[in-house]
Amino acid sequence: MTAMKYNVNGSTYQFDADPGMPLLWVIRDIIGLTGTKYGCGVEICKACTVWIDGSPEKSCDMNASEGVGRKITTIEGLSATPVGVRLQNAFIDCQAPQCGYCQSGMLMAAAKLVTSNSKPSDAQIDSALGNICACGTYPRVKQAIKKATGQPT
Amino acid sequence: MSKRTETKAGTVSRRAFLGGGATVVAMFALDAAPGSKMARAIAANLPVDTSGGPVNGWILVNADNSVSIAFGGAEMGQGILTGLAQAAAEELMVAWSQVRTQVAPTSQSYITGGSFGIRANFLKMRIAGAQAREVLLAAAAATWGIDASACSVSDGVITNTVTSATLTYAQVAKAASALTPSASPTLTDASKFRMVGRSMARLDLPSKVDGSAVFGIDVRVPGMLYAAVKNCPTIGGTLARTPATPAGAIAVVPLGNAVAVVASNTWAAFKAASSLSVAWTIPTAAAQLTTSTISAQAQTLMATGTAGSPAAERVGDAPGAYGTAVTRIESTYQLPYLPHVCMEVLNCTASVTPTSCEVWVPTQAASWVQATAMAITGLPASAVTVHPTLLGGGLGRKIEQDYVSQAIKVSKAVGKPVKLTWRREEDLSHDQYRPMGLVRVRLGADSGGRLTSIATRTVAPSPLAQRGWMAPTGNDNVEGAEGLPYAAANRLVEYVKHPAAVPVGFWRSVGNSINCFAVESALDELAVALKQDPLAYRRSLLAGDPRTLAVLDRAAADIGWNTAPAKGVARGIALSNGFGSIVALAVEVSQPTAGVMKVNRVACAVDCGLAVNPGQVESQMQGGIIQGIGTAFWGQTTFAKGVASSRNFSNTRMLLMKETPSITVSILQSGLESLGGIGEVAVPPTAPALANAWFKLTGARLRSLPFFPGANRMDD
Repeated sequence: MTAMKYNVNGSTYQFDADPGMPLLWVIRDIIGLTGTKYGCGVEICKACTVWIDGSPEKSCDMNASEGVGRKITTIEGLSATPVGVRLQNAFIDCQAPQCGYCQSGMLMAAAKLVTSNSKPSDAQIDSALGNICACGTYPRVKQAIKKATGQPT
Repeated sequence: MSKRTETKAGTVSRRAFLGGGATVVAMFALDAAPGSKMARAIAANLPVDTSGGPVNGWILVNADNSVSIAFGGAEMGQGILTGLAQAAAEELMVAWSQVRTQVAPTSQSYITGGSFGIRANFLKMRIAGAQAREVLLAAAAATWGIDASACSVSDGVITNTVTSATLTYAQVAKAASALTPSASPTLTDASKFRMVGRSMARLDLPSKVDGSAVFGIDVRVPGMLYAAVKNCPTIGGTLARTPATPAGAIAVVPLGNAVAVVASNTWAAFKAASSLSVAWTIPTAAAQLTTSTISAQAQTLMATGTAGSPAAERVGDAPGAYGTAVTRIESTYQLPYLPHVCMEVLNCTASVTPTSCEVWVPTQAASWVQATAMAITGLPASAVTVHPTLLGGGLGRKIEQDYVSQAIKVSKAVGKPVKLTWRREEDLSHDQYRPMGLVRVRLGADSGGRLTSIATRTVAPSPLAQRGWMAPTGNDNVEGAEGLPYAAANRLVEYVKHPAAVPVGFWRSVGNSINCFAVESALDELAVALKQDPLAYRRSLLAGDPRTLAVLDRAAADIGWNTAPAKGVARGIALSNGFGSIVALAVEVSQPTAGVMKVNRVACAVDCGLAVNPGQVESQMQGGIIQGIGTAFWGQTTFAKGVASSRNFSNTRMLLMKETPSITVSILQSGLESLGGIGEVAVPPTAPALANAWFKLTGARLRSLPFFPGANRMDD
């Protein structure tokens, strides 16, 4: 066990953890922010997407020690960003989520895309959102991203 | 995020539900869901909790003049929480912004399955809303000393039409709660609906975009430990001896066909469980559970048939008519075992003490969870509390009790609250799969091309029989073969039970997902043999069924069936009727590289009677089609000596956004009298529509699912 200090959504968390524990489980089980989801543990489904220093990363693929000294943003911190709020509202306006389980990862990926590309094309949205959704919300998620960026849906 | 649903982890107890300034103003009874064989089996044989009397729900008026509508089902993405609230709110005459929902106590829950949510509860929720409105109006009228007919109501505010005085629901709720509601309140005429039939915003979505929604896997209980399971990799195998507690773990709990490892966090439990070296006792019968063996058995059973068993449907003399038919089609279609693949893996949190048991769980069957807990703990119903959570997908998998029972046993063994979570690898390799199927279809047509006989024989393992819910000579997996809308004087629907011991269960659309592929493909083959257009041929068989014909025509019109497709593009069509609804899909496919199918466009038409929330009907159609494409392309689990092939998404490919075609959905409304289910109906016609289009494009007939088993890999 190693003493660690994290910055998540602007708050500081101090705790002891196994340095090999994936960041996903630090966030969920130790820090207690459960909006970030476990889907596969093998970096495929992207339900666990968070931002590390502003870049979307699969948190199941990072060790606890790699989170130290980084600025971590989870879905619970997305509302603090104007782009995040715009997307959250668009996801609701377009009634995109169904079961909702994968939507945290979808939103984190979408918010990063929109931050760096104010008018993403369909192909750019497809490429940035490789998240698995078993409910099949893809058409409405895409519609929501276009709506949030002022593009015709 | 201004508005937030009240649906958080955990049911409140009845006392808590009634507290907080809320007042009961109506109580309504929900009967067991009528209809299907599955529902009848549930009603007849299952440990449904009856201690609370009839299944009930309540409507409450809160101090802020909002209303809380109790929800006794499972919200797993299908929007039923919102749809049922719309039904009650319509009659209550409140604004949508006043509506909250609250998880009903277990004794008031219903089993969520068979696309029954709206069909079984819509009218009852309306009655509940109307009862509440009537007693509230009566209480206001009494206050004013006038007749209730002199009161009007809008947005939960009652107006005295004589004096223009007003009272809110909250102001009269206490008095209203003392009144006895009418058993047959006056319901709003369907032509005057202002909330039903509109795409009201889902009540659960605000919590699903900011991380605050609580799924089962998100439950946190004070003092909770974490458990992971290692299920015996081989079907039927049992633990030979309990392994020693590994380093980093707190306890190991034997579970018969599995072992649980308890640790201080999920990851430590996962790590310890996967590193565990376990000795299993493997039954010799497991050697037979190999896909090639199971398929060969199915071929034998197909040939021997069902001597002595009654047909599921028999009209006229199908074999005789087939024998004298001028044009005949006999084709056999093969379908694999399919995993459910809910994005939220199986999990359950339990807290067992000598005198109580609490369970927090994503479940489609809260009352069965209570029965499971009672059986394991020996506690009475009154000592067991079930907190159903939101479900990260259900798809039929979360009706089962395997994961629930494990969590309760582990908590009981360690004497602490425990959250038990299955790794994705366990979830996919220990599913209760959609049965494999072998379906033979024989179609006969006369010299004029008219269909004279249709005979199907479905060989498949039976989820009902595996649970002891069906007589030995009963029929299972015949949905999608029986009750077809096509005109044919002679019909025969046979089922042959396959004895394979691979655990099978209820998978979105059950038998329809098997038989619709076979029947709709075979009809296409017959149309080709008759040199008729597949749409025109289907139309000729539906002349006596204008409702179905309208759905088919709409899908065809939406895809532009009567115009030539672009070069290199071909169209296919398929129809499905199940769960009281009718769906037609017309698709366009192309072949960007040899042997690769691309779905360019899908036009879906659906008639579910009345679309309570058209936006959610569209969502369910889109989602079902997307699941239908992914499973048609790649979905299967194979077995080698009782060991499942599915591991993780690495070999369980899912359709991604970039592969999703444009999907249009047209909703036809034939009326409130023919209310149908919507959660499952889009899946069945997807695979045959694709196969039919692929045949048109390439001349190759796809009779085996999945179409592209070799392309099932995904990576990061």
